[in-house]
Amino acid sequence: MAKSDDTCILQGPLVFGNVVIGMCGIALTAECIFFVSDPHGLYPLLEATENDDIYAAAWIGIFVGFALFALSILGIVGVIKSNRTLLLVYIILMLITYAFEMASCITAATHRDFLTPNLFLKQMLERYQKSETVNNNDKWMTEGVTKTWDKLMLQNQCCGVHGPSDWQEYMSAFRITHSDADFPWPHNCCVMDAQGSPVNLDGCKLGVPGYYNSNGCYDAISGPMNTHAWGVAWFGFAILCWTFCVLFGTMFYWSRIEY
Amino acid sequence: RPRRPGTRTMLPLLLLLLATAHSLADKQYVPTLATSPLGGLKTTSTFVLEQPRCAFTKVQSDAVIWLVVAIPKAVANFSNSVGPGTPERAFQGFPTSTQAYMTLNTTLRNYPCPKPPGETTVLRVGSETSCATDKMRPTCNGPLLSPGPYRVKFLALNGSKPVAETAWSKPITLKTALPSSSIPATGGGRSTGMIALTSILSILFAVLLAGLVAMLFFWGSHARGSSTFSKPEAVTVRRYNTHHVYNQPAARL
Repeated sequence: MAKSDDTCILQGPLVFGNVVIGMCGIALTAECIFFVSDPHGLYPLLEATENDDIYAAAWIGIFVGFALFALSILGIVGVIKSNRTLLLVYIILMLITYAFEMASCITAATHRDFLTPNLFLKQMLERYQKSETVNNNDKWMTEGVTKTWDKLMLQNQCCGVHGPSDWQEYMSAFRITHSDADFPWPHNCCVMDAQGSPVNLDGCKLGVPGYYNSNGCYDAISGPMNTHAWGVAWFGFAILCWTFCVLFGTMFYWSRIEY
Repeated sequence: RPRRPGTRTMLPLLLLLLATAHSLADKQYVPTLATSPLGGLKTTSTFVLEQPRCAFTKVQSDAVIWLVVAIPKAVANFSNSVGPGTPERAFQGFPTSTQAYMTLNTTLRNYPCPKPPGETTVLRVGSETSCATDKMRPTCNGPLLSPGPYRVKFLALNGSKPVAETAWSKPITLKTALPSSSIPATGGGRSTGMIALTSILSILFAVLLAGLVAMLFFWGSHARGSSTFSKPEAVTVRRYNTHHVYNQPAARL
């Protein structure tokens, strides 16, 4: 197959572009596997909102990353050999991968916007330590939310979404089974000693500074979730911008290959 | 000069009146909510009062100080002589059948004066949940069932005789919990980042698709165009006789 000067010049940048795509694909896969593994244990909270699409976006990211890596190798081979068929297959498959990655980015960005403090507040009040569950699904979600909040409050030394006053300002499922006088807020909000029991339970109930956690847990929730969503959305966006350039160059290269 | 007859007797009388009026002393102490910053100062069923330190200065140290909690309309005709532990002052009947109850009794020795600096001296009203419905414990310090308002005062009893009291506090209203359905429904707004991301990606994808269509169209038209170039012209090779070759037999005559 004869090559003109045009194609010779383009080969270098295209191969380089495909190498970068391959590496970014692997990085995307690794990043999405990290997010799906849920290192902060916040997945049960999302599951209970029935809006866990940022996890779906991460799952798509895993497969897209791998596809990008495989296709970049195909692209390098096609460019070096100047094979029209290979390059056509490469372009079409890349466009399909592009579409999936676009879906993943948009999903992650959109669904992050749903996760507001009030959403978690409402969920916490309605599900934490809820005693009468309607069905198995409800029971599963309630247990998930309760365990996650207990762990959150212990590990981050925080209480409620905005603070312990959440438990006072609103009625909750917790209040139904725990009287206000004994539990103005859950005992996990108390400062704990090494054995896991409150240092001073009366001080905690009174709200003496130093014996209870007066800050809210929202930062501990939104921090990891923001990292997750923005990591998937914006890294994917960057990859897609680069891929756009490489694909455009490949289309141009393809049309310049002579029989 | 003749003196007015009453003046001499008036003055000692006035002084005597003042003395008796002052005998139910310590009226200037007003019970207040605790002054140190506490997260649980007022909850939906409890509140925290400052201890009545240095409030009863003229009372013997073995007098018993009781806390009286009442609804505001019972303050006007409240009688100090109704003792604690009677059905009229039982916690379990409050606020439906009685309008005030007495609880948190302790001797004056437990409220030493002056208050050591830096110590938190508080009384939590409503902390005993175990005896809240136990009619055998009318002096229970049980949790309050409604947000109030309530007014409190401290009463010192010697045996069953009231010897001193403080003033009534200002009305104390507890917190009311709102239902969780009142939390505004959380449909998150669209952030600018998400809109920018979506629009840019859509445009790029559209451009790529257009490029693909153009590419295929170009390929199609190029393939059709190349068939007119088709096979090269059939080159006919003519044999040129470079040497005239005549009939040889004619030349032999």
